[in-house]
Amino acid sequence: MTILTSMMVGVIFAASIYLMLGRELKGVCMGVFLLGHGANLAIICVSRSPLGKLPPILDGSAIGQYVDPLPQALILTAIVIGFAVQAFLLTLLVITWRRSTTLELSELAVEEPE
Amino acid sequence: MPNHMIILFVALPMAAGILSLMLHRFHRAQRVIGVTALLANVAIGVWALATVLNPASRILTSQMGNWPAPFGITIVVDPLAAIMLSICAIVCFAVYVYCISQLTGKHQGGYFHPLYHLLIFGVQWSFITGDLFNLFVAFEIMLMASYAVFIIGTSREQMRQAYKYILLNLIGSTMFVTCAGLLYGQLGTLNMADITRIAMAGELPATSIPVIALLVLVFGGKTAIFPLWYWLPDTYHTLPAALGGLFAGLLTKVGAYVMIRVFVMMFGLSGPVVDVVKPILLVSAGVTMFLGVLGAVSMHTVRSILAIHIISQVGYMIMGIALAIGLGIAVESRELAVAGAIFFIIHNMVVKCSLFLCGGLIHEHAGSDDLNKIGGLVRRAPWLATLFLIAALSLAGLPPLSGFFGKFLLIREGFGQGHYVLVGFALATSLLTLLSMLKIWSYGFWSPAPPEVQYVRNPAHRPRTAGGIAGIALLVIVALTMGLGAPLYVKASRIAAQSLIDPTPYVAAVLGEQYVGDETPRLAKVIEHDE
Repeated sequence: MTILTSMMVGVIFAASIYLMLGRELKGVCMGVFLLGHGANLAIICVSRSPLGKLPPILDGSAIGQYVDPLPQALILTAIVIGFAVQAFLLTLLVITWRRSTTLELSELAVEEPE
Repeated sequence: MPNHMIILFVALPMAAGILSLMLHRFHRAQRVIGVTALLANVAIGVWALATVLNPASRILTSQMGNWPAPFGITIVVDPLAAIMLSICAIVCFAVYVYCISQLTGKHQGGYFHPLYHLLIFGVQWSFITGDLFNLFVAFEIMLMASYAVFIIGTSREQMRQAYKYILLNLIGSTMFVTCAGLLYGQLGTLNMADITRIAMAGELPATSIPVIALLVLVFGGKTAIFPLWYWLPDTYHTLPAALGGLFAGLLTKVGAYVMIRVFVMMFGLSGPVVDVVKPILLVSAGVTMFLGVLGAVSMHTVRSILAIHIISQVGYMIMGIALAIGLGIAVESRELAVAGAIFFIIHNMVVKCSLFLCGGLIHEHAGSDDLNKIGGLVRRAPWLATLFLIAALSLAGLPPLSGFFGKFLLIREGFGQGHYVLVGFALATSLLTLLSMLKIWSYGFWSPAPPEVQYVRNPAHRPRTAGGIAGIALLVIVALTMGLGAPLYVKASRIAAQSLIDPTPYVAAVLGEQYVGDETPRLAKVIEHDE
């Protein structure tokens, strides 16, 4: 299970880097979003395999048999932050598109006629 | 005041931000809130500094929700954090005074003020946080606010640069959160004091070394060290001068602060980590400072000279950090190197920011900040000229101004430890810094204005600069006290350095006395404690 997840992390990171190498902003942004998901999955890996473990509800009796709850808390926070950043970036993309009618970085470089 | 008051460092800017967001239609009320909140911020900053440094170094901690330390969220104000907080508060106040009188257009609209407070919220949180994950969250808040400030009233060019800034920072943050997760997996904790304890006991697993080395990349990107600095010169000079000053004064310095915290305090004596990190930092410091200043010498507008200069100055901070870590170096020497780095950071926060603000006023007077199009400002704006000269010479490090003392400490320790090449770079950089500052001085202020500049005879153009001058003057006065009262500041930096070089009091203050030097796993200990 852990091996499978870590391989997934690798694949996601690779895909996101491929996307980020493009010249078009939409793709680059998608790459960054994907990178965030890869990171979250990597943190889940850290909590080790959940198979055969109890959900982390404390009654003080079965220490050591829980799934470690902290990585999940970390991911929850990271997801919320990531969501905000994605919303912000998408808004920025829309604004850029409306203003310049292009999302190519090289075309954005051309100075606006004033 | 009780220890728990340190939560005010984050609660106050957050409250001010929310309040001023609710009042976004009422600009006057927003300014009143802003000035009040920032003054109060200065007051608690100075209070914290006085409490922490006097009589000896005390460490203020507060456990959120009263959860015991390695599990809950801890906030800590140690001498280093207190120094950074108080200087940061002064810089923020001065820039705000400048902003409310100088910024125009959309920057005067309702949303600028809340973002300003939220930026400070993020910065101050990253100074006081006691664990790596909250550091990530604080970075994100700071960066979110900075992204939004970045694109207020954007031109197309600024928009393009904004993407570069946002995307690179996002990649950096994602790497940071990955590193934090992996470190948790190996150490079972993210609490800085707890990691310090593990590192001091020499219990770091070998697999954690690459993760820690990756942190150099994360923080190096934020601090803009070689070879990760390419985003900075392009982005900062597109900002209005006031915001450029704020970003220059705070954001890269947060990166430097975190590098001190992590590499000096947490892993400074952990052999395997230092073996990897120290050579990287040493080389990077030299190249960063030298390339940065070469860039500055080649530039021709005030803002871009100052923007590239940030990088060069970061090199000195990294030099201090690199000199301070490693086994087999005398404690005294390590201490002085960190003290030099800390002194240099606070000096740079104040001076760099005041220079950016001066750049803004140059633009206001002359209508441009291209050095070929301006001139003669020494007659036109004698006050501005005086303030600029003091700040510029401080940056270059002429004694008895503030830049001298930071560089003196760093270069002395560099010699002492036998890094002659690095010292040579540092000295050459210093000379070129003076050259680039004098370039602005002689083109902008000293030489007569070129004929196409019309403002000299145009009585209609009356620049409004009173508020701006007040803001700059405040910063320059602080910079002057750093130069003329250097022994005081150096002493404070040394106290901070001592608590970083020997973090036992820090660990004891956060985790409690009984955990120091204790090898049992935390979980078992706390459960035992509860029973």
